[in-house]
Amino acid sequence: MMATGTLNQYIQYVERMFRTANGENLARLLSLRDDHINNKNLRSSDIATLVEGNCVAPLDEIIIYHLCCVQALSVKDFMEAYHHQSQCVAAVVRLLQAQKEENWSLSLMYTVCLDLRLVAQKAELCDAQSNGKILEKAAESLLACFRVCAADNRTADEDTKRLGMLNLVNQLLKVYFRINKLHLCKPLIRAIDSSPFKDQFPLAQQITYRYFVGRKAMFDSDYRSADEYLSFAFQNCHHQSIKNKRLILTYLIPVKMLLGFMPAKRLLHKYDLLQFWDLVTAVKNGNLREIDHVMEEHESFFIRAGIYLIVEKLKIIAYRNLFRKVYLAENTHQIDIVSFQAALQIMGQVDVDSDETQCIVANLIYDGKIKGYISYQHKKVVVSKQNAFPPLSSLY
Amino acid sequence: MCPQDEIWLRKREKLIHILEVVGDNFKLVKSYSRSAADANIAVPSLLRPYSVLKKTVNYLLHEVGKQTNVPVIVIYDFLNDRLRAVRQDMTIQRLLPEQCMELLEPIIRFHVYFAYRLCEKAINEFDPVLNNKLLLECVKWFLSCADEMDRLNRCFNTHKTALSLDLLNLEDSKTMCDRVLVECLYILCNIENYQPLVRYLGLPSYIKRNPRLKLVYEIAIANIKNDFIRVCRLSHRLCPLTTCVFVIYLPRLQRNSLLIMSSAYNSKQLTVPTTILQDWMLFNSVVDVTECCKHYGLNVDNGVQFNKLSFKCDIEAHKPKLNNRLTGGQIINLHEVLTY
Repeated sequence: MMATGTLNQYIQYVERMFRTANGENLARLLSLRDDHINNKNLRSSDIATLVEGNCVAPLDEIIIYHLCCVQALSVKDFMEAYHHQSQCVAAVVRLLQAQKEENWSLSLMYTVCLDLRLVAQKAELCDAQSNGKILEKAAESLLACFRVCAADNRTADEDTKRLGMLNLVNQLLKVYFRINKLHLCKPLIRAIDSSPFKDQFPLAQQITYRYFVGRKAMFDSDYRSADEYLSFAFQNCHHQSIKNKRLILTYLIPVKMLLGFMPAKRLLHKYDLLQFWDLVTAVKNGNLREIDHVMEEHESFFIRAGIYLIVEKLKIIAYRNLFRKVYLAENTHQIDIVSFQAALQIMGQVDVDSDETQCIVANLIYDGKIKGYISYQHKKVVVSKQNAFPPLSSLY
Repeated sequence: MCPQDEIWLRKREKLIHILEVVGDNFKLVKSYSRSAADANIAVPSLLRPYSVLKKTVNYLLHEVGKQTNVPVIVIYDFLNDRLRAVRQDMTIQRLLPEQCMELLEPIIRFHVYFAYRLCEKAINEFDPVLNNKLLLECVKWFLSCADEMDRLNRCFNTHKTALSLDLLNLEDSKTMCDRVLVECLYILCNIENYQPLVRYLGLPSYIKRNPRLKLVYEIAIANIKNDFIRVCRLSHRLCPLTTCVFVIYLPRLQRNSLLIMSSAYNSKQLTVPTTILQDWMLFNSVVDVTECCKHYGLNVDNGVQFNKLSFKCDIEAHKPKLNNRLTGGQIINLHEVLTY
């Protein structure tokens, strides 16, 4: 659209789309990811004077900032581009505020907001000193949009701008995860969860949302919710979006493992996540030395994905599996602490003593992973006659 | 250390703190005032440059901090206010990151130390939450400066630069700028939180490999798994300031450990000797163990009788104790924590 043609034609076209309330096409005409940005006729060092007076307000300023941004991008000045795009977003905010009782321009808002985030990311990469400050600024612009949408509560359900909230929240979540400011997610999540449109948002947006909220729940050690959100995302994600499914699995697998469900090798193979396979085997066998080894080998993968600490927590599951083996081997309901201690030492925890072994067992009992009690005097663990090691999957 | 206008004003209005009276003279230090809407705080003549701020911090912590003829709480309130004014001056003139680090590091030591020193005080005398808020502000500021330095170093391709004082060429400073210490404190002060550990994992390797920091990371990891035996054992190797933080955390650790044991050692007949608990959870004495167990509703006879139903979960944690086994049964003094 508009890959050729003059500036005046472009302006007229934009105006027509605006007058006919054609949000989709308007959005494309003001997108940074459309063909028209390669149209040299739309570039000039003096866009402002060329557009001014040639176009109705408030569309003129949106066009000016947009084309200034295009101009800056063409010379790869991402910082400059970011400034123009953020002004473009601010102009769209004013437009939205002026449009009462209608929401056809939400597509335009989505587009300029997404573009803002992408440009900010580019600018961030070019400026080693910024350290997330540009993205943080971008988030403020997005929040301005969010406020306009969230405040639109007098309009009829089908025309309300509140329908645009989730798209923005997803953009914001992406920013906050990237700059590692997870505490800022909470009010956004609350806003969506309490929204009456919670289940009416487009499925694609819901999947993105649940993916991030699931990851957040994982960091907050709320593994049950994490499982719920991430499973929804995984099951509903389009089957051809292998990349996204792989991303979801990166978090869903360790969460599932903590809850006692081990992934099949076929699955790991399909999504190129075999890094987890050695871990699965080690956790199943209660092999602590092997877990350490896997953590070392895939350290950068685990750290980059942000799951290193979760993997560390999988050792607790490994303890449980190891002690269950001891219990089965001893075939008695009164097991000496020494036996558990020896097992730990064989499996790589060489410096463990009787006291720490008791502490590890105590935690498993407290979590309900072992049914029984410890006798300090006799240095024994007395386990329940029935179901001494209940299946992990039955615990949550 | 104090602008002339403020000296006149405070002398006239008789607003001189007892700690500003030195012999027959006054030694005033600029006090903190909130940036109100009509007050212009960005007046160059009211701001103290870096070298003066450095002297002020040294004077406050090393001279005023030594005073023994006024109650500790008065010293704390005074220093807290004046150091806050130092930070305000720093913010307004946007000092270089390395200068900020230099000034913040001793201030961080101050907040950590007094959180420990005043831990037995009542809430109306000392508010640990407020102190902790200021502490975290400083720590985060310090760390963001450190990150900025890291990035600059990377830009200039000078990898080996561990931040040290000789870079800054300061003659008369008594305190040192110890980044590893601040990284340690950040983890320990937020020991129940994942965020500092995530930060640790992403640190440049020359810092990550530091044995002091590794120790603190191990403690935090053991703590996540509720392995209190390991946590307590490792804690003996902490330095004085990290010990201060740990001593304050200890009651929460003990409470949590007792809760876990209430499930695991749950029995009507069997008990666990109090001496063992004293040893495991670093109680000062058997009396303390008994007192603490009773506080949480556990029965103590010959030993502690654990019962998961009688453990009071909703009760507040007991207060930390100044004299502690980890501190060698003595109170750590301010001078000691400022000079290593």
